[in-house]
Amino acid sequence: MNEPKGYVSFVLHAHLPFIHHPESENYLEEQWLFEAISETYIPLLLNFQKLVEEKVDFRITMSMTPPLLNMLDNKLLQQKYIKYLKKHIELAKKETTRTTYDSHLNSLSHYYLDRYTNDLHVFHDIYNDNIIQGFKHFQDIGVLEIITCGATHGYFPILYITEQTVKAQIAVGVQTYEKYFDKKPRGIWLPECGYVPEADKYLKEFGIEYIITESHGILYADPTPIYGTFSPIVSKEGIIAFGRDMESSRQVWSSINGYPGDFNYREFYRDVGYDADYDYIKPYIAHNGVRVHTGIKYHRITGKDCEKDYYHIDWAKDSAEKQAGHFLDSRIKQVDTISKYMDEKPPIILCPYDAELYGHWWYEGPYWLYILFKKINFDQKNIKLITPGEYIDKYPEIQVCTPCRSSWGANGYSEVWLNETNDDVHRHLHVAGDKMVELAHLYENEQDTLKVSLLNQCARELLLAQSSDWLFIITNGTMVDYAKKRIKDHIGRFTRLYEEIKKDKIDESFLKNIEEKDCIFPEIDYKIYL
Amino acid sequence: MPRKAKEEEIILDKKIEKKKTTTSKETSSKKNTNNSKKSTSKSTKVGSKSVTSKTSNKKSPVKSTKKVNTKTEKITKKATKKVANKKIEIVEYYDLPYRYNQTVVKVLAQTPTTLFVYWDISDEDKNKYIEQYGEYFFNNTKPVLKVYNITKGYDFEVAINDFSNSWYLSVSDSNCDYKIELARRPINQYVSINNDYLYIASSNEIDSPNDHILFDELSKFVYFKNVKNNKIEKKDITNLFLLKKINKLYSIQNFYKELYPEEAINIDRLDLKNPSSNNPTSSFK
Repeated sequence: MNEPKGYVSFVLHAHLPFIHHPESENYLEEQWLFEAISETYIPLLLNFQKLVEEKVDFRITMSMTPPLLNMLDNKLLQQKYIKYLKKHIELAKKETTRTTYDSHLNSLSHYYLDRYTNDLHVFHDIYNDNIIQGFKHFQDIGVLEIITCGATHGYFPILYITEQTVKAQIAVGVQTYEKYFDKKPRGIWLPECGYVPEADKYLKEFGIEYIITESHGILYADPTPIYGTFSPIVSKEGIIAFGRDMESSRQVWSSINGYPGDFNYREFYRDVGYDADYDYIKPYIAHNGVRVHTGIKYHRITGKDCEKDYYHIDWAKDSAEKQAGHFLDSRIKQVDTISKYMDEKPPIILCPYDAELYGHWWYEGPYWLYILFKKINFDQKNIKLITPGEYIDKYPEIQVCTPCRSSWGANGYSEVWLNETNDDVHRHLHVAGDKMVELAHLYENEQDTLKVSLLNQCARELLLAQSSDWLFIITNGTMVDYAKKRIKDHIGRFTRLYEEIKKDKIDESFLKNIEEKDCIFPEIDYKIYL
Repeated sequence: MPRKAKEEEIILDKKIEKKKTTTSKETSSKKNTNNSKKSTSKSTKVGSKSVTSKTSNKKSPVKSTKKVNTKTEKITKKATKKVANKKIEIVEYYDLPYRYNQTVVKVLAQTPTTLFVYWDISDEDKNKYIEQYGEYFFNNTKPVLKVYNITKGYDFEVAINDFSNSWYLSVSDSNCDYKIELARRPINQYVSINNDYLYIASSNEIDSPNDHILFDELSKFVYFKNVKNNKIEKKDITNLFLLKKINKLYSIQNFYKELYPEEAINIDRLDLKNPSSNNPTSSFK
């Protein structure tokens, strides 16, 4: 087959912070996972399946972060998700009766009933409550390249002051990946695309070949990469960096004219949780009676500041198809321009996004992706889909440059994770990191099983405190109390355990209790901090 | 991360507060979000008293003195025996330590030209200075941060105050190696210090990020590595196809301008207000 003029590489970053509260049924935050499974992960799996069945030759890359994998593999959360689905099916059934007064609404309610019923079937009957194997299957048949991420999405540009903590984030990220996918990850999504050259040696040590950076991670590299973001670069340590393409990301992400703002698309903010009669909806909203989103939504975006019209699935699909066509045309044009300047290899257009954008925020996103992949396969020959790994294999000659310290946060550096709203946290993360390294050295040859359990729990608490999500949430100004509580809990638990082992006074029941709550990384070994 | 849940929680919190005032005695033990909310609101008070972390098995953990604490422990032990077969519900309450009593200076780069510094001086070190320079040492001196630009070999000083423990420093040069020194200078004649400068502690070294395309530093040659066999090849960029096409020696700017038309106005300083990890918000509407 002829070589295409250029390649397009989609990278979806699937991540949620570790939220697991066996002590209560009432944490709304646990629902983030359930919403993401129903709205993003299952729709992606179903679309991959459809593409395979329709013999579409496609490639996609996904990072699945260790906290997400741990949650998807967690029995309690799996049971809670099934409960969540059953509740939704019950509500959707009621909706099919309630909405008989309007045939359009009624057909939409039937759509939701089908959808939630099918989710339960897919989750329980097909994947046996664990959808990780679904993603693994598509990796094993060669259409999906899964990459890893830092253990708990710790932001390297803040953590690297104690380098072992960055090393541990990488080590546990790689170990978790191997546990679930039976092979080593070729790539890593650096948490928040936060790049520091100091991490390269650890990436190398754990066998990572490539990373994803924000556009200026490449454009501001030293020396200047002669092909911009249209070719990867390789650092002195041997880590290959792919940069985000600016043009394609704007088309999808722009808040002004980005695709997800199409007036035919489903309106996120209108939901029966808010619209239906209180007594009717009460069993399906928050435990204390506060109205929340249920996921059953009947309106489309319609326009700016106007009365919202009903959602029409066909209209939304029509918009997604047009936009997929527009995206494809734009990429063909783009590749046409760039390839004139690249004699040695075809350019790669890297399109990284949050996976949860597709489906959760942009309800029609997974369908858009499905149509786009079909169009790329059947409608033209100029561009082809590729994964970063395959691109490296095909074009191993790469310019040597050191990527620029950068992130994909607002303004490109560390402001989102370090600013006046959250800067009181960093010293605690650093001190706990130092103390963890101290413990690893002090108890390097520890044989006592209780002490080893405690040390391993210390590592879990430290890692959980380091999640960039808490800092992000504080900056964002929503759910601040929950994020602050999580930092305090993990630093507090860590500090308590640290003092207990140093005083040789271990409270076994306390340790057991938090081992159950913070049960991420069951196989962790604290010696990674050596 | 799905954001709607976050918004729900805000509303939830507000309602909970309202509820607290109206319906007084509601299920107190199982309201976890509620409990956490309470502890957060009380945390600042406790924090300022430098209470580190506390866990108590009682439901109202905040007001504990030492005596109460021991009592609590006894009660809990008894209670634990009685309900030995039941699951022990451990109620935890933590606050971040006010300080760690360590002499420390740490610096992080917030942006290419803004550094974030935090510091502390341990009580032991403080006493050492008081012993050496007199009881009023800290009244007779002021703290300063000396910023060293190691790459370019210059330094400057910023006066700070004893009420802060962190600072944002503006620096003019991006892409440079920096180090910060915490020091004190006398503010009157009652204290005598060599060179009027008393070094206290140094920070880690950090590289501030680069913030522009390094056109000027691009030499005639670039290196390519074959990552499969690790062979390195030196290439004369003037011979490269792309530059021949552009037909201007070294004019890689033109290449960038053509490829990034939106940024053409100022290609070496890109618009970094790129859509980022922030998920789209209501502005989609």
